[in-house]
Amino acid sequence: MGFDEATHRINGVDTVVLSAGAGEPLVFLHGAGTAGGFDALLPLAERFRLIVPIHPGFGGSADDPRIDEVHDYRRHYLDLFDALGLDRLVLAGHSLGGYIAATLAIDHPERITRLVLAAPIGLRVREHPTTDVFTIPAPRLAPYLTEKPELLAAEPTPEFLAERYRELTSAARLLWTSPYDRKLPDWLHRARMPALLLWGDADRLIPVGQCAAWAGLLPNAERHILPGVGHLMFGETPDAVAAVARFAEASVPA
Amino acid sequence: MSVFDDIQFYLFNHHHYIDLPEDPDRYESTWVDLPNELFDPQHGHRLYRRYTRELLLAEELGFDAIALNEHHNTAYSMMPAVGVRAGYMTALTRRVKMLVAGTPVNLSWPSRVAEEYAMLDVLSGGRMEFGFPLGTGMEYWSNATAINPATARARFREGLDIVFRAWAGDGPTRYDGDFYTYRYLNTWPRPMQRPRPPCYIVGSGSQETVNLAVETGCGYSIVFTPIENQLRAFDRFRELAAERGRTVRPDELVFTVIAYVADTDEQAEIECRPHVERFFEWFHRVPPTYLSPPGYVSREEFLRRAASAALADASRATWDDMVSVGRVACGSPDTVADLIAKWAQDAGTSRILVTLQHGDMPEWKAVKNMTMFADQVIPRVRARAGTGG
Repeated sequence: MGFDEATHRINGVDTVVLSAGAGEPLVFLHGAGTAGGFDALLPLAERFRLIVPIHPGFGGSADDPRIDEVHDYRRHYLDLFDALGLDRLVLAGHSLGGYIAATLAIDHPERITRLVLAAPIGLRVREHPTTDVFTIPAPRLAPYLTEKPELLAAEPTPEFLAERYRELTSAARLLWTSPYDRKLPDWLHRARMPALLLWGDADRLIPVGQCAAWAGLLPNAERHILPGVGHLMFGETPDAVAAVARFAEASVPA
Repeated sequence: MSVFDDIQFYLFNHHHYIDLPEDPDRYESTWVDLPNELFDPQHGHRLYRRYTRELLLAEELGFDAIALNEHHNTAYSMMPAVGVRAGYMTALTRRVKMLVAGTPVNLSWPSRVAEEYAMLDVLSGGRMEFGFPLGTGMEYWSNATAINPATARARFREGLDIVFRAWAGDGPTRYDGDFYTYRYLNTWPRPMQRPRPPCYIVGSGSQETVNLAVETGCGYSIVFTPIENQLRAFDRFRELAAERGRTVRPDELVFTVIAYVADTDEQAEIECRPHVERFFEWFHRVPPTYLSPPGYVSREEFLRRAASAALADASRATWDDMVSVGRVACGSPDTVADLIAKWAQDAGTSRILVTLQHGDMPEWKAVKNMTMFADQVIPRVRARAGTGG
């Protein structure tokens, strides 16, 4: 099984949406890079209508410099959910996508049946700071991203690097000023739905030490730690997607 | 009228912090993260005094202007607050003009820049000119992260608008922008020169900065880049200005050269070359991450930079590379005068920004170079006045 790809014009921005499978909708919001593709998520399509929208400013979606705060992404996805006819859904987000997912869950808890946050960015945990990805030179980035550097291009072309620069620029619109959202601790209590916090314990970008802080702020969260796994958990091990599937399936009526 | 009828020479001193350790390869960059324990304040004080002597000598020797600029977190420049330096020099000089080129408006506040520069103009009795840079990518790492490089260009444009509004002399005015809101924009003092001091946009030749200069009614001052690049930028400037019905005067375009003059071409190269090579080796040591923070350039420009070895690694440029692309005018008085006259004429500019102290060049040699340049090169170039070149 592979993804179907469609382009939706959302508030003037051409947004690529990958989808596969049928059933209850499960939307996956990706992190700040699309180079690895999303085939690793396809097992989720066996039980769900899996939807992977590509953020504006990333991959095949168009750029929109107006999108420069997390609430712009939140509203973009509200528009997209409307366009796709999604009322209630399982929402998963990885890294940057986790931050957006958490924001959606805070503001629209009635629409999100279950929430998966996979190594989300956004929460400031002073004892376990997020690595400032902007300061890491491209040639040295791989060990921060993954325990399996073979997942990444060994000899990136200038074109590849330029595309990463574009995606980093899109992330910087949101995160340059601060990689943290100071308001998250004040409002995460509103995300009352069952939540799964998924983390690799070898994550060098967003350390696993942050997981406990999220768990303390979300009213209804469980944790799943993947041993020996880095930030790009879905590419590194099938256990990551299996954990999402197990958790999400609890919401599907038997 | 030829460019030579009113040709003016601006002595540009970068205020390098020199005498860095002899093992530069220990450091990947002389910008952003070069450990500041390497800065010895006692030595810094001596260098400020030395560069002051060179700037004062420029006035003595008859240079038309001295030029100062601003950079941050770097041994390249000891002027992270160029207004402080310029204020000091206004008190020590009487005649010479001063080009401050300048504080990146984004790294300060537009009203603050307007105030500082207005102070300088009044303090100096109206001798100031100002260059407005976006700031290199490196500067955006030095600042608190409040200024997002992804919006730097839009913010720069707005900041510039505010500076000029503040100088218009019709304050108080209100300003409601995308980045700044002023309830009372009402700069005291306001500049002495009316309608405003000569202003230039400082750029590296990109379409964006050229456009900005034309749209804001400013001149254009190009940073140190190959001569061909400078000429192309000036041509674009003239084309764009013509489209808007604006006639470009030769004094609105500032041209940058590195120069060294000695009795013969051979002698000049022997004396100059090690210092210029040291300059490139040391001060162009900038990793791509620092050169292009995310959003500072477009994807297309990033790709262009990635593909251009010369840009990617200017610190490995050879002497022959530098001379052949016209970065350096080095030789006898005739050689240097002929080169500069040709470049000025090709560029259609009458404002020559000349650097005569290179890298780790000792004071005696910089003084000798400045003196020979003033005595032997400037008159040779000026002699072309009225001859059409």
